[in-house]
Amino acid sequence: MFSISVNEKGTVVLTGRLDAAQVDRAREIFSGLDDSAVVDFQDLDYISSAGLGILLATQQRLKKGGKAIKLVHMNRMVRDVFKIARFDLIFEIE
Amino acid sequence: MMRQQFDRDIRSLDAVFSFLHRFAEEEQLDARASYVLDLAVEEFFTNIVKYGRGTSSDVFLEAVRSGGTATVRLEEQTSVPFDVTRATQTQFDVPFAERKPGGLGIHIAREMLDGLAYEYVDGKSRITLTKYLET
Repeated sequence: MFSISVNEKGTVVLTGRLDAAQVDRAREIFSGLDDSAVVDFQDLDYISSAGLGILLATQQRLKKGGKAIKLVHMNRMVRDVFKIARFDLIFEIE
Repeated sequence: MMRQQFDRDIRSLDAVFSFLHRFAEEEQLDARASYVLDLAVEEFFTNIVKYGRGTSSDVFLEAVRSGGTATVRLEEQTSVPFDVTRATQTQFDVPFAERKPGGLGIHIAREMLDGLAYEYVDGKSRITLTKYLET
């Protein structure tokens, strides 16, 4: 089960498991971002390279305009995946 | 040992995860091992789906725990051997703006697993994933 929404503060909230079968739903929201934003991982239990690819493409697009996404509240396993992918050098992770 | 057959289709992923979670529950795998096997199997299963190499055969998953080791094997019937474990290496030394996600999943899986092997026997490709369990 995966869900993605944007709350009243403009934070992108991810919930559940972001795998290769779910990336189209994530892509739909992230491709609509045109300003800096926070992405809340609090309730995200799982992410694979399919989800990382969407985040990478979003960050590359936003950075061209001087914007960026910031990632917050990752669990330990998800954070390990970001470190191994060296995405901790690409994103501000809080 | 658990064994199940899956359609070679990205829509099979939910069923693949259900299989892996049943294995994790029955064999009382720790959370980290369960996550790593999910991630690695997803990467190799989607790779098999994307690069069918002229075959439409189903994919078989086998999972077994032996002491402190969990092993999952993906098997497919294919006429051409192709070692997906040697697929494109991720290039970390390219500038950020040029970085592409290709090969990333297999890099992560390789780093998080304790063993990864490919063999081609009697027209079948087999990828074997090994993860040591926390004690």
